[in-house]
Amino acid sequence: MATTCTISLSSDIASGFGGINESMTLTQAGTVTNIDSTTGFQRRKLSATGAVDLVTMASENIEPKDSVASKIYIRNIGDGRGNIDKTVGVTIGVNAEPIGKLYGGDWMVMPLTCIVADDVTANPATDNTVVLEFVMFYEEA
Amino acid sequence: MATTTAAVTLSSDLLSDAMSVTASTTCMKAGTSADGLDQLEYAVVEIATGDEYDLVCTTPTAAKASKLFVKNHSIDETYYVAITQNAQAIGRLYGGDWMFIPADFHDAAADIAITSNGGTNKIEYALFHEGTVLTTT
Repeated sequence: MATTCTISLSSDIASGFGGINESMTLTQAGTVTNIDSTTGFQRRKLSATGAVDLVTMASENIEPKDSVASKIYIRNIGDGRGNIDKTVGVTIGVNAEPIGKLYGGDWMVMPLTCIVADDVTANPATDNTVVLEFVMFYEEA
Repeated sequence: MATTTAAVTLSSDLLSDAMSVTASTTCMKAGTSADGLDQLEYAVVEIATGDEYDLVCTTPTAAKASKLFVKNHSIDETYYVAITQNAQAIGRLYGGDWMFIPADFHDAAADIAITSNGGTNKIEYALFHEGTVLTTT
């Protein structure tokens, strides 16, 4: 029961930058045991500015264990009907701290504490419809 | 235009119907679809257990579309680094883990900070950005 995540970064910013290709197997904290719980793949449509919880830690059906090796994948897929606007984005935050903005098509993979207060938030820049896909992997408390 | 592309493949068989997600994005400057990120800070650092340090050495321009990749190259699975921003705990990268995030650096306090645990962690990071506040000598 393995969960793997691979990244490939290429860039011509610097001629000597050969790119980055890395893979990780998501494991439980401090072990080589595979991570064992997930929210499943989800989709959230937002149509107004204002921060909303993407993941509310206290509301998960299976309580996540705090401060271990949890990860979340989030992608801005545009309006969900094939239109992806690279000029507007959704600010992703943790416990009201803005981490960064996912513009149309952008994705992120981030570790999480899963502490009850550390909800993952999403705040669209405009009232235009935007759809986020996300999945969280975590350890059961 | 400089072109930086970030692709990801995520696979999991935790559920009975295996999941496989692929995505790719071209990293653009904030608010444009015509101009890509054109500056890069790329480094490998070793961080001893203990104190918290700012990971990014420069001061990227705030509220832009910077992207940050961080990998913990430690081979001991018990070693980890704790990632924080503006005193808010984000999460932990254990040996072999990586992350890729949009980094807002929304104000002077919003540095990405890192604390090493278990032993000395070797950290690789790459910041793709569109400007920094350089330090005069």
